[in-house]
Amino acid sequence: MRRWNESRESAGGTSDVNLTPLIDVSLVLVVILLLATPLAFESSFAVRRAEAAARAATDENRTARIEVAVLSADSVRVNRAVMPSADLGRALEPLIERSPDGVVAVSCRDSVPHGSFVAALDAIKLSGAQDIAVTGR
Amino acid sequence: MTRINVTPIIDVALVLVIILLITAPMLSVADLDIELPQAHARDTEDTVFVSITLGAHGEVAVDDHVLSGPQALAAAVRDRFAADDRDDLLVVVRADSRLPHAAVRAAMNAARDGGALRLAVATRQGGQP
Repeated sequence: MRRWNESRESAGGTSDVNLTPLIDVSLVLVVILLLATPLAFESSFAVRRAEAAARAATDENRTARIEVAVLSADSVRVNRAVMPSADLGRALEPLIERSPDGVVAVSCRDSVPHGSFVAALDAIKLSGAQDIAVTGR
Repeated sequence: MTRINVTPIIDVALVLVIILLITAPMLSVADLDIELPQAHARDTEDTVFVSITLGAHGEVAVDDHVLSGPQALAAAVRDRFAADDRDDLLVVVRADSRLPHAAVRAAMNAARDGGALRLAVATRQGGQP
């Protein structure tokens, strides 16, 4: 028995698998996933050129246009009606249904936080808008 | 025989390569500490894009290059488009949610001046409403 063990060690050492490369690669994998995970949850809204929206205003029937102005963090104006931001989606749905192209022109006051502007874009998108045109330069 | 089974190592390594290939374009954004606004809807699905990052304290970056200030933005976007064959690349504006809209609009206008044809506003995905 002892002779068998001696001959086995001298022939090629122990037969344990070297796990170091596997653990190494796995840890790199974990680090990459940790870095990439927040980015994987990023998305974006496409916005059209303001000039194109202005051109559309002259070409299309003005009554069919939908204009949203973000006035502050919690109030918006839809065409001529001022309302709380929370009511934006409910107000837009019937207008978008009647709209021939589903384009919504959005303007925003300079001092409004970007987060409130994006919240308005989100409500507009969820209301079924086909296209969002950000106006103002 | 004491031969090591290398199949799992090769398997993991190939998965690693695939993940790297997929995430490499996503990782080419500036490492600025920004708080993206949350949204439920999602729109654009482009995997290759030019990113403009606007930090809460006035930091500006195009992809992973931090610029000296907003005035350098249009030139940086122009250089980025010149370095690429495609002129219809999506430009994604990644702005901190606390920034005033004026700063974001200025960045979008600078991107247009730099040759951007397609623009998008980045959001943090917030699940179903």
